[in-house]
Amino acid sequence: MKPSHLTALVLLAVIVIIGVGSHLIGIRLYDRIATNLMISLVLVVGLQTFMGNSGLLSFAHIGFMGLGAYTSAVLTIPSQMKGMALPDLYPFLTAVEVSPLLAMVAGGLVAAAVAAAIAYPLMRLSDAAAVITSFALLVVLYTVMNNWSALTNGPRTLFGLPRTTDLPTAASVAVLAVIAALVFKESRTGKLLRASREDEVAAAALGANIPALRWRAFILAAFLAGVGGSLWGHFITSFSPKAFYLKETFLIVTMLVVGGANTVTGAVVGTVLITVAYEGLRGTESMLNATSFGAGQVIGLTEIVLALAMIAVMILKPGGIFPSREIGDILARLRARKETRS
Amino acid sequence: MLDVRDLSVDYGSIRAVRGISFHLAKGELVSLLGANGAGKSTTLKCIAGALKASGGSITLGGVAITASSPEQVVRAGLATVPETRDVFPDLTVAENLMLGAYIHRRDRAGNRDNLERVHTLFPRLAERKHQAAGTLSGGEQQMLVIARALMSRPTVLLLDEPSLGLAPAIVDRIFEMIDTLKRTGLTIFLVEQNVNQALALADRAYVLRLGKIVASGTADEIRSTTDLSAHYLGG
Amino acid sequence: MAFTIQFVIDVLSLGGAYALMALGLVIIYGILRLVNFAYGELIMVAGYTLYLTGGSGLPWIVMAVLALAMAVVFGIFTDYAAFRPVRAKSVTAVLITSFAFSNLLQNAALLFISPRPRYVPLPEIFSQTVVIAGAITPVRNLLTIAASIVLLAAVAFLMRKTTLGIAMRAAASNFTMARMLGVPANLIISLAFALSGFLAGVVGILWIGRIGTVVPGIGLEPLLVAFIATVIGGMRSLPGAVIGGFLLAFIDTTLNYTLSQDLLKFRDAFTFGLVILILLWRPDGLIKGPASGQRT
Repeated sequence: MKPSHLTALVLLAVIVIIGVGSHLIGIRLYDRIATNLMISLVLVVGLQTFMGNSGLLSFAHIGFMGLGAYTSAVLTIPSQMKGMALPDLYPFLTAVEVSPLLAMVAGGLVAAAVAAAIAYPLMRLSDAAAVITSFALLVVLYTVMNNWSALTNGPRTLFGLPRTTDLPTAASVAVLAVIAALVFKESRTGKLLRASREDEVAAAALGANIPALRWRAFILAAFLAGVGGSLWGHFITSFSPKAFYLKETFLIVTMLVVGGANTVTGAVVGTVLITVAYEGLRGTESMLNATSFGAGQVIGLTEIVLALAMIAVMILKPGGIFPSREIGDILARLRARKETRS
Repeated sequence: MLDVRDLSVDYGSIRAVRGISFHLAKGELVSLLGANGAGKSTTLKCIAGALKASGGSITLGGVAITASSPEQVVRAGLATVPETRDVFPDLTVAENLMLGAYIHRRDRAGNRDNLERVHTLFPRLAERKHQAAGTLSGGEQQMLVIARALMSRPTVLLLDEPSLGLAPAIVDRIFEMIDTLKRTGLTIFLVEQNVNQALALADRAYVLRLGKIVASGTADEIRSTTDLSAHYLGG
Repeated sequence: MAFTIQFVIDVLSLGGAYALMALGLVIIYGILRLVNFAYGELIMVAGYTLYLTGGSGLPWIVMAVLALAMAVVFGIFTDYAAFRPVRAKSVTAVLITSFAFSNLLQNAALLFISPRPRYVPLPEIFSQTVVIAGAITPVRNLLTIAASIVLLAAVAFLMRKTTLGIAMRAAASNFTMARMLGVPANLIISLAFALSGFLAGVVGILWIGRIGTVVPGIGLEPLLVAFIATVIGGMRSLPGAVIGGFLLAFIDTTLNYTLSQDLLKFRDAFTFGLVILILLWRPDGLIKGPASGQRT
């Protein structure tokens, strides 16, 4: 079996085991956590397609998730509820009501279209300029979501999305996202892009148009972010623009870099690890809050521990847990070594 | 003065310098010759502390400086003039020279005397002291980096390709200047591609090829016994 | 006339604060080529120091000095916690650690102090107003102008006339060469962080003087402002950062006076859109800094 197929197999097995396992246990809480995990997987794997292949840090990813979530909301909130949920909505949109599945694709496409329209010139930038522009892009997207009341209900909570995302749906989308990321990584675009990460000059000499390559990866990442946002919207059913800003950016960036931004395996492993840690810490926090005797709320502990973990990983293993090789390559090597020994 | 033994330097997985040894006696001008990619600049950077040695030892006046940082190497008395001719372009000539004396910054009187000496050697720099270094010509910038190195009052001066990319007339003047410096008793290690001019000045020379020393001796010996073009052109 | 004076004072006081914010960010960026995402949290630290010393009965000026000192300490701490351990590894690693460190400090404030705004003790003078040629002007605006003039002059003096300042500028243009002249790298970097922290502290006091309270997220807006100003002014040029600060203040104030309420809500989108456009046009910002440079 080819190592890349082995990688796909192992990663998909992980997703299925988590999905089926948490379903079999039959505790509602685990079901909810597992669904969240699958949605995070879509987002983190999406970020990996851009960051991992291009080597550029992007802070704008969560903004595209927001675009997907709001697109999906506008398209799926039942028309009789729209008067309440989105009082200022443009008349031609009030009658629209499509199936959540279609809305999810639309959410991805809108995010991808916005990314395609604005990102091409940004892809020429490197280093700090690239990071600051991606940060600026996040602020722009956030400001627009926060103020375009007609479509988003402004900073107020938007409610009324049908709850259609369950664990099997989320897990299926996660499986597709992982496959998309692996296929993209091995595609010509992905390979050239990774070559450019090592050596921009040499890749350009090979005839690679680096901005165009980055642009493709960025659009794919935005598409996956939009899909993830739509998926999440139909899971949580009500949200406000605050859900698509720095705190969430920090969380998905942590997931990706702890696991290893250069590999899809890293994205999956990081998401699983950080989700488990996050839920564990959250649980501890609320337990402390329940038992504390009026000593005030414990908030922020989770983020503190995660931030410390992130700094520690960066110092000890700057490439993350899976810095360069996918799990399939590692297993194939192990097997080869065993064979030569025996 | 400077003693290098079995020095090896790696660039990633490539061994650029493979166990070379050489030494400089006090007041000597020794030249290191070789083609592009022979490992000359790597050797120099390693002595200056900008690259880590992967094997061997470097001592300066009997003190080990193998693992020293660039800051420590200057303090030990060894000044480096890199081939990239790195003036600080936005700083004035005077400010560049002032930074050369950074390690002696509390000894203001000493610096003033030293600056006067440097200005006598390079009168052009005195004329342009308030000018931004980036506006100087290539030759003037080369003078400035040498002058700046002298401001640290070194016992050994490392010069990396001082003639690189300069017009022939200016190259002649730079070599004259190096000769003048040599006569003040300064120990000089000169890395050059310009073989004839380097050998005209040098007391002794080493020839480096693919990271190894393939010939050494006095300037005359090198000139007469080594098929220079063979080593030099890599043939 | 009164309107003109008010406008000028608004621009100068806002611009002074912006210029100081930008300067603190560029000092680090110029030397290390790295963005310090935790810069805003230094402002937060100064604010909380004022709040925590509020009940102590110390004279206000002592509390202000303590706030500055804490900002300096945390500036240096940022270097040790987020930059030094990963500096040599990769640009991305440092960006991530400084981002993480920013989150760490913010959440520490959430956990140990409170998510709610805390009132900060301010002397009378911050709430007084004077009338200048018919324009009612808060004294704190005049204080901001005065403080920014003094500090900008002091930083200019430090950078142009002292050996350490010149060494910092040299390190900003060619770090390795500066080290080969004996300029101690780590000391220079720590000093830059200390100076950055000091500027953040001053900005913190002036900024909080406008709002009167401190919350864990207070550093975000100054950080964004510093980003924009540095991008406008040139990411590696200190005078550029100052010019960028004043220019941004001019744009902001003009928009404040002219835009309708509806559009004003989108102001951040406009200014950040402008940042993106400027970076596209000139990736190094409007004013070019020192030509070359590498990190250690």
